[in-house]
Amino acid sequence: MNGAIEIQQLYYRAGKTFEIKNLDLHVARGSIYGFLGPNGSGKTTTIRLVLGLLRPLAGRVTVLGRDILREAPRVLEHVGYVPEQPHLDPTLTVRETLRFQAAFYTTWDWPCAEQLIRQFELDERGTFGRLSKGQKGKVMTLLALAQRPELLVLDEPTDGLDPVVRRQMLSALLDYVSQRQATVFISSHLVHELERICDWIGVMDNGRLVIELPMERFKNGIKRLRVAGAPPGIASPPFALLAREHQNGALETWIVREWEPEMAEYFETIGASLHDVIDLDLEEGFVELLRTFRRPRS
Amino acid sequence: MFRAILYSQWKWSRLIVVLGTVAGFALPILSVQGAAGTDRGPLPVGDLLRAVQAWGTLYPVLAGVLGLLVAIVTWAPDHRGRHVHALSLPLPRWRYVLLRFGAGAVLLAAPILAVLVGALLATGSATIPPGLQGYPLALGVRFALAVLVAYAVFFAVSAGTARTAGIILGLIGSVILVQILANVANIELHLFDGLQIAVLNWPGPLAIFTGRWMLIDV
Amino acid sequence: MFDQLDPRSPTPLYAQIANRLRVAIAAGELQPTAALPSVRQLATKLRVNPATVVQAYRDLEAEGFVEMRQGAGTFVREVPPQTRARERASQAAALVRKLLAEAGRLGVSLQELQAAIAEEIGVGTS
Repeated sequence: MNGAIEIQQLYYRAGKTFEIKNLDLHVARGSIYGFLGPNGSGKTTTIRLVLGLLRPLAGRVTVLGRDILREAPRVLEHVGYVPEQPHLDPTLTVRETLRFQAAFYTTWDWPCAEQLIRQFELDERGTFGRLSKGQKGKVMTLLALAQRPELLVLDEPTDGLDPVVRRQMLSALLDYVSQRQATVFISSHLVHELERICDWIGVMDNGRLVIELPMERFKNGIKRLRVAGAPPGIASPPFALLAREHQNGALETWIVREWEPEMAEYFETIGASLHDVIDLDLEEGFVELLRTFRRPRS
Repeated sequence: MFRAILYSQWKWSRLIVVLGTVAGFALPILSVQGAAGTDRGPLPVGDLLRAVQAWGTLYPVLAGVLGLLVAIVTWAPDHRGRHVHALSLPLPRWRYVLLRFGAGAVLLAAPILAVLVGALLATGSATIPPGLQGYPLALGVRFALAVLVAYAVFFAVSAGTARTAGIILGLIGSVILVQILANVANIELHLFDGLQIAVLNWPGPLAIFTGRWMLIDV
Repeated sequence: MFDQLDPRSPTPLYAQIANRLRVAIAAGELQPTAALPSVRQLATKLRVNPATVVQAYRDLEAEGFVEMRQGAGTFVREVPPQTRARERASQAAALVRKLLAEAGRLGVSLQELQAAIAEEIGVGTS
């Protein structure tokens, strides 16, 4: 078990309808893992389970080689957490917040913290509760980075923030990752942001992990094909056919996974013609993937 | 770590601690006013004892209020943030709770010392009639225990989930409210008496609140 | 220099970065012995995964365009003229491929295209 995060057969319930079932997730050390999924899919809950803030009903969560439920304090010393909602004392100033946090982490790096204060253009004497949303996000990111963790867990850190602040935060994050072999587990709605920085992607929907694979394979693998003259039923194509849709006219739109250029020849063998292969960016791929996974299997 | 927690707790409860310290210092001194000064001679014993007893009823109130407020203030920010911050810190929950408790206790030392110092000053400067004695130390110690007991009880209540704490404190509040309304309406209702007997006179720490708080007594 | 970086393009980001640098080196924009930005600097500036930059640099090193020196950084190498010519040729071919594909999509015939090219070239030199 040498991943930064290993989740095995996780089961969790909340209320009558929300359920996370059979979750298997693996984050390799040193990778930047993007965690995607629509609202309510269970991303935040999964993150809380990873950090030991919630207890699962079944299954195992191992973080940095240790069982999180049994050894949370030891593990958390090396985990920097940036939650969705500000979780810090609103009455303390920025400087006091830093001093508080520094007292708990032996790996705290003051020069780094000071440098980030300058970089993020924060006013040390400002009260945390009165900061803007963007500034709060920057402070929480600062705390997580100045701790010099081995693993960074970020739950929608840039949600609702303006582009300038987002860039600052991501740059600081990448700067840190470049200096250290740190692992990053980041959940976000902003698919375009993740597209640049993640080397792995995990997609969650309705409490289940729909897919988990390297970013390049995901992006390159999903294509939209324009096909004409294909018979209604086709047996074992070389790619994974996710969906077939009739457009007006003779052309159909096919959504496929695991596409390779050589597979174009396949269409001749079924008496069809391939008119176009359209690349999908991560966002479109993600949307198509979810659409097909939600459709009842025929 | 303790220093960090103490600092943040001091920031939240500054006002309460300062006011409590002033009140704690003032109480014993006010209770012997009139007995001070050699020029007027000692007060009649009866008057003095009545004054001391009257003021004395405020000690348990002050102790209870201090314990309650400091306990609430200790947990309020955590509850507001749903304990996410505390739970994400790299230390076991029990240690965190212990550090918080200790910080509150340290802050409460100020009003406790104020009562002790005030009591010593009051009995020192007052002219005590023969046959009576001052008990500043006993009063100071008793106050200290009362404050800590109140703090411990309310701390335990507040440390629960915000909902549990809210329910319990709400219940206490409503019982008090009902009793007050009953008194106003002159209805024979002695909720508190029954409760008092059950809770306060039961041999246990809460009994410290009952009885008379006499700085000067026979 | 890297303002055309497109995460949505089918070309992986590391390839895009490597391409841009290759062109710059072949065209002389980046001179031999010049230092490329450190992995850290470039990753932070472009907001991409540092591993992406590392891969781009490694690919360029394998092709002989740069040299990665442990602890010192990545430096542009002296590139022989044949390599430069080859690179220019491949860039030209890529441009032509794009042009032809676009023309095809718009329904412009080959003759129309050639006529337009001649016209534009004539305009450029007159």
